[in-house]
Amino acid sequence: MSLHAVSPAVAADTRLETRALTLVAAGRELVQDLNWRVLAGQRWCVIGRNAAGKSTLLRALAGVSEVGVVQRGEVAWQGRPQRAWPAADAAALRAFMPQQVADRFPISVARLLELSVVQARLEAVAVLRGLDIDALAQRPVLELSGGERQRVALAQAALQGAPLMLLDEPVAFQDPAHQALVARWLTGALPADHGLVISAHDINWIARTATHVLALLPDGRCEQGAAAAMLEADLLERVYGCAWRELGGLWVTD
Amino acid sequence: MPLASTRLLGLAVAMVGVLLAVVAAALALGSAGLDVETIRALRAPRVAAAAGVGALLALSGLAMQSLLRNPLADPYVLGTSGGAAVGALLALMLGVAITVGAAAGALAAGALLLWLARRALATTDDASPRLILAGAMLAALFGAMASLLLALTPDQRLRGAIFWLVGDLSGASDGGSSLAAAAGFVAWFAWRERALDRLLLGSVAAHLLGEPVRRLRFELLLGASLAAAAAVASAGAIGFVGLVVPHALRLAGVQRTRDLALLSPLGGAALVVAADLLARTVASPIELPVGAVMALVGAPVFVWFLARGGR
Repeated sequence: MSLHAVSPAVAADTRLETRALTLVAAGRELVQDLNWRVLAGQRWCVIGRNAAGKSTLLRALAGVSEVGVVQRGEVAWQGRPQRAWPAADAAALRAFMPQQVADRFPISVARLLELSVVQARLEAVAVLRGLDIDALAQRPVLELSGGERQRVALAQAALQGAPLMLLDEPVAFQDPAHQALVARWLTGALPADHGLVISAHDINWIARTATHVLALLPDGRCEQGAAAAMLEADLLERVYGCAWRELGGLWVTD
Repeated sequence: MPLASTRLLGLAVAMVGVLLAVVAAALALGSAGLDVETIRALRAPRVAAAAGVGALLALSGLAMQSLLRNPLADPYVLGTSGGAAVGALLALMLGVAITVGAAAGALAAGALLLWLARRALATTDDASPRLILAGAMLAALFGAMASLLLALTPDQRLRGAIFWLVGDLSGASDGGSSLAAAAGFVAWFAWRERALDRLLLGSVAAHLLGEPVRRLRFELLLGASLAAAAAVASAGAIGFVGLVVPHALRLAGVQRTRDLALLSPLGGAALVVAADLLARTVASPIELPVGAVMALVGAPVFVWFLARGGR
C-alpha cells in the first residue's frame, strides 16, 4: 500500500495519520516507525509505562513538541502534513489538552472557556453541565482544585471545536465518580465525527472508554488494534512488565 | 455579565473622576496661586507631561506583564531604565541633551535584548525564563556602568544626574506627544485584545488556538520598550507606577486586556500627576524628586491595600 496515495473518501474522515513516525528524546527512541490512522468516531487510548513517551507522542501529534525532541517521519491532519497547515487553520482541526496547566492570571472559568472557542460547534452550557463544572463558571481559575481545573481543561479542548482531540491523561486527578462521568461524557456527548487520542493508565477506565488502543512498548515499538483485542493479559504484561488477570470483569495486577 | 460590566463602569467613572480632580488640583495649586499665565505657560505643560509619562509607564508595565506572563513584571525588568540611565549620564558628561541620551540608551537596551533573546523568541515555547535572564544581565551591566559614570560625573552636575535617576519632571515639556503615543498603544491593545488574553494562557496554549505567538511577543517587546524609552527620556526613571497600576487593577477584579489597557493609563496618569503635585508643593520652594515621592506615598498605600484583603 502506498502511504501517500490516500483516496479522498478516506482522507475526509481521517482525523490523524502518522507515516513512519519516530520520536527520539534524550537519546532514547520512544516511538519507532509508527504507521497509524485515527478515523472519525474512533477513541484511541494510548497506554505505556511511565516515561514510555505517551506525552511526547501526544505533543508531537498536536504539533507542539518540546525543544530537543527529534521527529522523523510525518504527522498529517485531514490528509495534509501538519507543517502545511497555518496555525490559525490548525486551531480548527486539532485540540490538545496538556497533562498540566499553570495559570498565572486571575481570570474566570467563563472567560477562559470563551477564549478557548475557535469554532462554536458544541454548546457551552451542555459541555459545562456534562463535565459537572456548570457551578464553577464565575470562579477564578486560580481557586479551582486540581480535579476541577482538569475538567475545565477538558471543556476548553472540547469547546475549541476541533474534530481531533488529543487528551493527555484527562482523568489523572479525578475521583472515581468523576472518572466515570468523564468516560460517559467522552463516549456519549461528543459529535460523532470527532476522533480522540487519550493517554491513560487505568485499564478498566480504558476498557469502558476506548474503541481502540495504541500500546507503546518499552523498546519503542508500538502495537495497535481494537480495544477488545488489545486488552489481554499477555500484551498488558509486555507493556507494563507485571502480570495481569481478569477478576469479575475487571483487570487487576498481581 | 451585567454585574461585572456595571462594576467595571463604576471603576472607570471613579478613575476618570480622580484623574480630573488631580489634574485640576495640579493646575490650581502652587506658589504663584491662581495666576492664569502661570497655569497656562508653566503648570499645564508639566501636568500634561506628567500625565503622558504616567500613561506610558502603566501601559509599558501592562505589556511587559503580558509578554513575560508575570503579573509582577514592570517596564524596567528587562533593562530599559538601566540603558536609559547610562545614555543620560553619558549625555550629561558630553554636554548633549539628557533626553536624547536617555532615549538612545533605552532603545539600545531594547535592541540588545531583542538580539540576545532572538532564539527564544523564534519558537512558540515559553520564552520568559530566557528573556528575564537576558534582561537581568543587561540591567546588572547597565547598573554597574551607571554607577561608574555617576562616580565620574563632575560635582556641579551630580545633583541633576541623581534627580534624573529617580525621576524628575522639571524639564519635561513634551506631554502632547507622550499622550498621543499612549493613545496609540491603547488602540493597539484594543486591536490585539483577544490574542493578548489568549497569550496569558501560555504561549503554547495561544499557539494551539491559532494565535501568531512570535509576532505578538515581538510587538509587545517593541511597544513596551518604546513606551518606556519615551517616558524615561522625558522624565527620568520613575519607578513604581508601571508595576503597581496594572497590578492594582487586576486586584480590583479587572481581567480583560482590553479593560486593563483602557484603565491603566488613567491610573498611571493620575498617580504621576498627583506625585508631581506633592513633589513640587510639599517642601516648596524646594522640589522633591517625583519618583521618590510617589514610591514613598504609594508603596505604603499599596501595602495597606494588600493587607486589607487583596491577594
